[in-house]
Amino acid sequence: MIAAAWTVFRKELTDALRDRRTLLMVLLSSVAIGPLVLVLISALVSGLEKRAEAREVVAVGLEHAPTLRNHLERQTFTIRQAPADFEAQLRDNKLGDPVVVVAPGFEAALQRGEMPLVEVVSSSSNQRAQSGVGRVTTLLRGFNTEQATLRLVMRGVSPAMLQPVEVEERDVADRSARAAQLATMVPFFVLMAVLYGSLNAALDTTAGERERGSLEPLLMNPMPHAALVLGKWGAVAAVGMLIAFLSCLSFLPGQWLLRSEALAAMFRFGPFEAMAFIALLLPLAGALAAVLMAIAIRSKSFKEAQAGTTIVVLAVSMLPLMTVFNQEGIAPWFYWVPALAQVTLMGSVLKGEVLATPEIVASVASSVLLCAAALWLVSRLLRAAALK
Amino acid sequence: MIRVQQLRKRFVQPASGLPGLGRQPERVVQAVDGVDFTAPDGRITGLLGPNGAGKTTTLRMIAALLKPDDGRIEVDGVDVAQAPEKALARLGVLSDARGLYPRLTARENIVYYGRLHGMTAAAAAARATHLARVLDMEPLLDRRTDGFSQGERMKTALARALVHNPPNIVLDEPTNGLDVLATRALREALRRLRDDEGKCIVFSTHIMQEVERLCDHVVVVAHGRTVADGTVAELSRQAGQTDFEETFVHLAFANDTPTGSAR
Repeated sequence: MIAAAWTVFRKELTDALRDRRTLLMVLLSSVAIGPLVLVLISALVSGLEKRAEAREVVAVGLEHAPTLRNHLERQTFTIRQAPADFEAQLRDNKLGDPVVVVAPGFEAALQRGEMPLVEVVSSSSNQRAQSGVGRVTTLLRGFNTEQATLRLVMRGVSPAMLQPVEVEERDVADRSARAAQLATMVPFFVLMAVLYGSLNAALDTTAGERERGSLEPLLMNPMPHAALVLGKWGAVAAVGMLIAFLSCLSFLPGQWLLRSEALAAMFRFGPFEAMAFIALLLPLAGALAAVLMAIAIRSKSFKEAQAGTTIVVLAVSMLPLMTVFNQEGIAPWFYWVPALAQVTLMGSVLKGEVLATPEIVASVASSVLLCAAALWLVSRLLRAAALK
Repeated sequence: MIRVQQLRKRFVQPASGLPGLGRQPERVVQAVDGVDFTAPDGRITGLLGPNGAGKTTTLRMIAALLKPDDGRIEVDGVDVAQAPEKALARLGVLSDARGLYPRLTARENIVYYGRLHGMTAAAAAARATHLARVLDMEPLLDRRTDGFSQGERMKTALARALVHNPPNIVLDEPTNGLDVLATRALREALRRLRDDEGKCIVFSTHIMQEVERLCDHVVVVAHGRTVADGTVAELSRQAGQTDFEETFVHLAFANDTPTGSAR
């Protein structure tokens, strides 16, 4: 029985690995896409960070306002001259900062106490510039307050008269928190790699075998059907794990490309994490292979099986969202749902948490149970499937 | 030797659809209703019958894919129902479905089955080479089977079924979809297997010429029943006909409406 299962396993694995075109598509869609998305996100995050850190004001006509200029420079802002056609550039999304426009005669009007005009020019359709408006207005308001306070003090009035309450903003959000959220996408990508890796092999060894008419002759060989199912299942799970392994590996060089320092600091994915991912996914790969086969063996053709397995693909891609939607955070039952359990555990690994034994046991047990049930179903349906 | 005694099999198609809304009632089909024959070694036995006579069902029961409701099948004295794996080891079956693995070469397809029969890799490979010579398919051996012609597929499937050198060979409508040359090549191969190696060969067909040209013994099956058996000459004498087609129609459709033999 073991020898027969081993023969089937080797044949199915050879067969699956020779399907170069499918394999290439799977590699592109589930192995290359993860690091690619990671790098894109890092570029986005680092762009936002750079803008926030670059204390810079884009201005026109600041030479008419030495006092304002002095104030800005004391706040450690550098001043950049706006291009001549800044209005057009703002409209066309080419300029990413609001522009401070100072009219000639500003300084003289200020000295006379005449409220000279300072414009903050932006375009509400220009997201990047619009996000900087608040920062620039706050800066100008600071200048206003400073000037007003100076005048009051010169006239012997306490500044507290103007400001009965002192208001101060304090932002407790960690800037890297957002980056950490993005890193949680990695478990999802690895999970999908297992699924897409085993999907084609699972369909080919069951519905594909029926469609080709090779299942009936196969069953006329003197071996237990359990050996056949076991060999096929092993090969399908192995292909799924191979793709997951490659997907994990692809994140290792992927993170060297991270451009955001905060993201790189939060995204700790070394060889240890990769191995932990592989170990956590192993039982799930078995369960997914078995479930896909159990669904596909009922289908007479590859196409029909593809339609049937859509539900599995959908479930596996939607379940990780539970971690986002569930208000109470991680619920204990998460660890009993295959796919959801693995995503949750992989998230814990990324956060550097120590995994609790009961949680690991729950995730392994649920996958093993599901796997056993699906395999039992496949071996029951095999004979009937061959004859129809 | 294959011995089939009073074989019976019926299929029940369960009722489908919702009650009241176009519900299809349960359907019972008595596919095989008393097939009975003995195929000795060193002979080619033809199972001749019209479409739907129960030939494929009978052969599937011999190959242990279906369990008979009643009756007994012995392959070289081994009861198929009692020891299906032991019986299958003594059988080579070319079934109606003869799908190959397109990404494997012909040799790999053949060796795979040899390994499943418990042969060593070397023995299976040697046997594949030998069969390729017998079936005149040596140039095909190391090509992937994707894109093979019908004849090439049939030869590969036959080699695959014979890889473990079974003393008994069962073929289900082997000439389906083959051209004249491929059919002749198959006939020649079967004769050689009978004469040189003394195999017991059973093959089903609905084509009279096949039977006339090849079979030492003919079993006529109709409505799931063995209605006559003997050599071609014996059957013609029994039916009082000179033409074998007339003989067949007379034997197979004797109890039908007279249109069958009225021509």
